[in-house]
Amino acid sequence: MATYDHRLSDGGPVAEAVESAAVRVNGLTRSFGDRQVLRNVDLTLARGEFTALLGRSGSGKSTLLRAVAGLDHTTVGTGEILVPRRVSLVFQDSRLLPWLRILDNVVLGLPGDDARERGRAALDEVSLGGRASAWPHELSGGEQQRAALARSLVSEPELLLADEPFGSLDALTRIRMHRLLRRLYERHRPAVLLVTHDVDEAVTLADRVLVLDDGDFVLDLRIDLPADRDPGDPLFQRHRTTLLGALGALPDDRTKDTEEPS
Amino acid sequence: MNLDLTSRTGGGTATVTGGPEKAPPSSAPPASTPPADARTPDTSAAAGLVPAIQRRLGRGKSIPFGRLLGPLLLVLAWWGASAAGWLDPRKLSSPASVVTSAQELWVSGRLQESVQASLSRALLGLLIGVAAGVVLALASGLSRVGDAVVDGTLQVKRSIPNLALLPLLILWLGIGETMKVVVIALGVTVGIYINTHAALVSIDARYVELAEAQRLSRWVFLRKVVLPAALPGFFTGLRLAVTAAWLGLIVVEQINATSGIGYMMFQAQQYAQSGIILVGLVLYGTFGFASDALVRLVEGRVLSWRRTITA
Repeated sequence: MATYDHRLSDGGPVAEAVESAAVRVNGLTRSFGDRQVLRNVDLTLARGEFTALLGRSGSGKSTLLRAVAGLDHTTVGTGEILVPRRVSLVFQDSRLLPWLRILDNVVLGLPGDDARERGRAALDEVSLGGRASAWPHELSGGEQQRAALARSLVSEPELLLADEPFGSLDALTRIRMHRLLRRLYERHRPAVLLVTHDVDEAVTLADRVLVLDDGDFVLDLRIDLPADRDPGDPLFQRHRTTLLGALGALPDDRTKDTEEPS
Repeated sequence: MNLDLTSRTGGGTATVTGGPEKAPPSSAPPASTPPADARTPDTSAAAGLVPAIQRRLGRGKSIPFGRLLGPLLLVLAWWGASAAGWLDPRKLSSPASVVTSAQELWVSGRLQESVQASLSRALLGLLIGVAAGVVLALASGLSRVGDAVVDGTLQVKRSIPNLALLPLLILWLGIGETMKVVVIALGVTVGIYINTHAALVSIDARYVELAEAQRLSRWVFLRKVVLPAALPGFFTGLRLAVTAAWLGLIVVEQINATSGIGYMMFQAQQYAQSGIILVGLVLYGTFGFASDALVRLVEGRVLSWRRTITA
C-alpha cells in the first residue's frame, strides 16, 4: 500500500482561493480494500461554475462525488474537503420516497414555514405544478427525475452535485432534461458538479470538463461555447474528440489529432 | 389514452399517430384494419404473420367478495350432507339446528354474554401485545444497545410456545382474567415484534443515503423515512398477531373459564349439545375472518401508495 500524502491547507494561496471557491478538495485519497480509487486528488470549483466530471466506469468519479457529498463515511481515505453550507445531491434514480406525495418529497427536510410554498414554486419551475399531490409511482421516469431536480433546487444550494442524473432516462427525455437543467442552472447559479460518462452530455451542459482516469485527473478542459449549444458546431465536435481521446475511446488513427494524455 | 399521448408528443408526430387514432374503436387486431394513410400499403396478405394476442400472466381481476366464496361452499356442502342424512346429528348437527341453538342462546342472553367476555379478553390482549411488540421493535430496531438487549430475548421467547409457558403463568397469575390476557398478549407481541423489527432493520440503504444527503434530523428521518418504510412489515405482523390473539383466546378459555365462548362450548360438551359447540366454532371462525378483513382494509388505506400484484 502506498503512503498517503496528506496535504492540508498550505498557506496563502488556499485561503485566497477559498473566497471564490464553491468546492476545495486537497489531497483526497480513497481506497476500497487494496484498490486505491482516488490518488491524492486536488480539485477547486469556482462559485457558479458548471463542471462535468467525466470518466469510464471504475475511474473513481462517483467515489469523488460521494466524498464531496459526505456520503462515504464507510470508505477508507484521507484528505480535506471544503464545501458550502447548502449542498444538494441528485441521484441517478430519482429516489423519491414512495410513501410521500410529490410535494412532500420535494420539501423533505426543508426548514421554514414557507417550505410548502417554496416547494410548489420549485415544482412549477420543472413544469410539475399540477402533480404536487400525485404519488411518485404515478409519474413517468422523466417526471420523477424532474421532481428530484425540484427537490434539489428548492433549498437554493450553493453547490449542486449530480451523479449521472439522466443515466436511466431515454434519449429524448434526456435531451429535454439537459435543456431544463441548463435553464435552472442559469436562473439559480449554483456551482454544479455533474458526474457522467456521456461525452455529449458533458460538452452540452458544462463550462468545464474534468476527465478522471484511474483515480486522478488526466484532463481539465474549458468549454468556451455559447449557452445554447449546437452539437453540429465544429468546436463542439473538437471538444468531443478531445474528450473521447482522453477517455481512450477513439480509434487508434485519430488519437494523434488530440491532446493525448499519458 | 391515444389522445393524451398525441397531445403530449406535440404536433410533429400528428401524421404518424393519426392513423390508429382515426380507426374505428373495434376490438379487431391492428393487423386486419387497413390504416387510412399510405405508410402500410399491403399488410394483411404478408406471409408468416399471426394476429397479435394479448397474453395475461398475472392473476387477473379480483373477484368481489371472493374471499367469502370458500367458506360459503363449505357451509353449503355441510347443509347438503345433513339434508341427505349422511351425518349423524349427535356427532354433527345440521346448519339449521345450529341456527336454532344460536337463537336459543341469544334469547337467553348467554350468547351476548359469552361473546362480550371473549371479545374483551382478545381485544385487551391484542392491544397490550401490539403496543409491547411495537415498543420492543422500535427499541431494538433503532438502537444498537436495544438490539443487543431485546432481540436475542425475543428470539428465545419466539421458540417457546405459549402453551409451554402456561404452567408458570398460572403459578404466577392464577387462573383469572389477568393470566388470560397476558397469554394472549404474549402471543401477539412476538408476531408484531418479529415483523416490525425485520422491516425496521432492512430499510433500503438508498433511502438512508437520501436522508443523509437532505441533511434530515434524526427525528424527521424517523418520522418520514424509517417509520413509513416499516409500516408494511408492521401490518404483516398485525395480521399474524390477530390470528395469534384468537388462538390464545381459545387456549385460555379451555382453562377453568367461567365465561366466554370457550366456556359455553365446554358446557355444551358436558351435555352433548353439538349445536352449541358448532355455534362457538362458527363464532371463532367469523371473528377470525372478520378481523383479518378489517386489518386488510386498514392496511389498504394506510399503504395506498403501494402498487403490488394484488392491486
